[in-house]
Amino acid sequence: MSAVRTEEFMVNMGPHHPSTHGVCRLLLTMDGEKVIKIEPYIGYLHRSIEKICENRTYHQCIPILDRFEYVTAMSCNYVFSLAAEKLAQIEVPERAEYLRVIMLELNRIASHLIFFGTTAMDLGALTPFLYALREREYIMDLFEMTCGQRLTYNYIRIGGVSRDIPAEFVPKCREAIKIIDQKVDEYMALLNGNPIWQKRTIGVGYLSPELAVAYGVSGPILRASGVDFDIRRDDPYSIYDRFDFEIPVRPNGDVFDRYMLRLDEIKQSVRIISQALDGLPEGEIKAKVPLKFKPPAGEVYSRIENSRGEMGVYILSDGTEKPVRVKTRGGSYNHLQVLPEFATDILIADLVAIFASFDIIMPEVDR
Amino acid sequence: MLSIVKGIVELVRGMTITGKHLGKHAVTLQYPEEKWPMPERSRGIVVLLSDKETGALNCTACMLCMRACPTAAITIDAPRGEDKKRQLKVFQLDVGICCFCGLCEEACNFSAIKLATKYEFSTENKEDLVWDMHKLQEVGRDVPYEARPKKKPAPKPESQSQPPQTVNPVAAPESESSEDEKKEGEA
Ligand code: SF4
Ligand code: SF4
Repeated sequence: MSAVRTEEFMVNMGPHHPSTHGVCRLLLTMDGEKVIKIEPYIGYLHRSIEKICENRTYHQCIPILDRFEYVTAMSCNYVFSLAAEKLAQIEVPERAEYLRVIMLELNRIASHLIFFGTTAMDLGALTPFLYALREREYIMDLFEMTCGQRLTYNYIRIGGVSRDIPAEFVPKCREAIKIIDQKVDEYMALLNGNPIWQKRTIGVGYLSPELAVAYGVSGPILRASGVDFDIRRDDPYSIYDRFDFEIPVRPNGDVFDRYMLRLDEIKQSVRIISQALDGLPEGEIKAKVPLKFKPPAGEVYSRIENSRGEMGVYILSDGTEKPVRVKTRGGSYNHLQVLPEFATDILIADLVAIFASFDIIMPEVDR
Repeated sequence: MLSIVKGIVELVRGMTITGKHLGKHAVTLQYPEEKWPMPERSRGIVVLLSDKETGALNCTACMLCMRACPTAAITIDAPRGEDKKRQLKVFQLDVGICCFCGLCEEACNFSAIKLATKYEFSTENKEDLVWDMHKLQEVGRDVPYEARPKKKPAPKPESQSQPPQTVNPVAAPESESSEDEKKEGEA
């Protein structure tokens, strides 16, 4: 009897696959059940944000950049403001810096909660998703109370923040971070010991530190591969050097470590926020920046540690009201690039786990 | 065998955690029937505010909001009348373009425009999303606001011959005006 003839075939995963978190299309080449080649196709969410910014004044760029990475829009606001402040050498008031750190860290927690919920959902556990979004609601309420929006904040501005926090913010924020801190333990108890969860995550999708560095992977994924690098500590911006917090690092570089690392980061963010709330000084919330903001000609790159790795903005200014060029850098772009490296006989189910653990969001890739 | 026991232990642990939520109240609402109270700063639809006594629009047609808008959602046409003052003829907001950023509210010196806490304005026609001055005023009638102290208009520089602007500066070339200078340094 002659051998059964087999051939490879292609599977389109996405652009509307529930586990691709947005509109990413992966073209998979399959050999039976094994994935042997992954080709990501991007561009479905392209809104030409960088080009739009070239036709806007610096103040108008901020609400546009809200849409650059809408899960952590505070970081987008902040990284652009930071670049513009560097360019024009604006001194930001102390209180504004504290408020910024509080907002950035709250946003990091909200983003990691979404990661936790969606990853668990992709791997078949629906309950964590509902819990995580419920806890995220505390943070959304805080944001809405302060700046009026739940997703596109337009809060951090060049020279400070747009409005002071309302009186009830501080007690509510303390309560929220206390609840979230407890809930993270509950999440760990819910999933960590579960044999199904362990089988699907431990040892799956190993990313070596060398490969991670070679592809420019950053943020929690890099640290889960054992590389101890965090911009908050290694290239400090704002007032992060005043707080006492740890950078969690994990050695194994698998899906489980990437998941655990983010939960650990939530705990550290809670620490930062409570220190910032303790030290919150009184005073101005915004430096004087004219409505017709014209920074001197020059170029600048600013980068921050976002929940999805390094987020950066490059501005080229010619001294007029509008930037000549705005270039954005999002971590997800690099993370999507490293994905084809995983096509070494994994199953589609593992690919879903790996993709989820990378926490890629498409607006950051397509921009 | 061991893994089965371990699995059962973990199952019980997981069920205990989820079971704790059984008796608790729901955190969701049945939306159209019940609604969350919106925070006071909530940025919903853009409305035009009227004077509490006279009922006339506060807007002086200075066009600062139009210039501040990043998406060119506001269209103002206000030709100068006999007395050289701008008469507001058209104030149009395309709700479909507006991104609810709130920059117009911040730009306005006269408490004339505000992002209200209302948020229900869905419609079946795209055309209905373009709101004119009267609709914006009607929706804004019951919106509470604090009137800012009126400032005296800055002395106008000589030679003021400006064509009425109907295009948003986002698309159009830059233009300077006295009102603009006045605002400078305040932001
Ligand atoms: S800024 Fe205020 S006063 Fe000026 S045109 Fe706009 S709404 Fe009217
Ligand atoms: S809220 Fe923003 S987008 Fe909407 S009209 Fe005002 S400035 Fe324009």
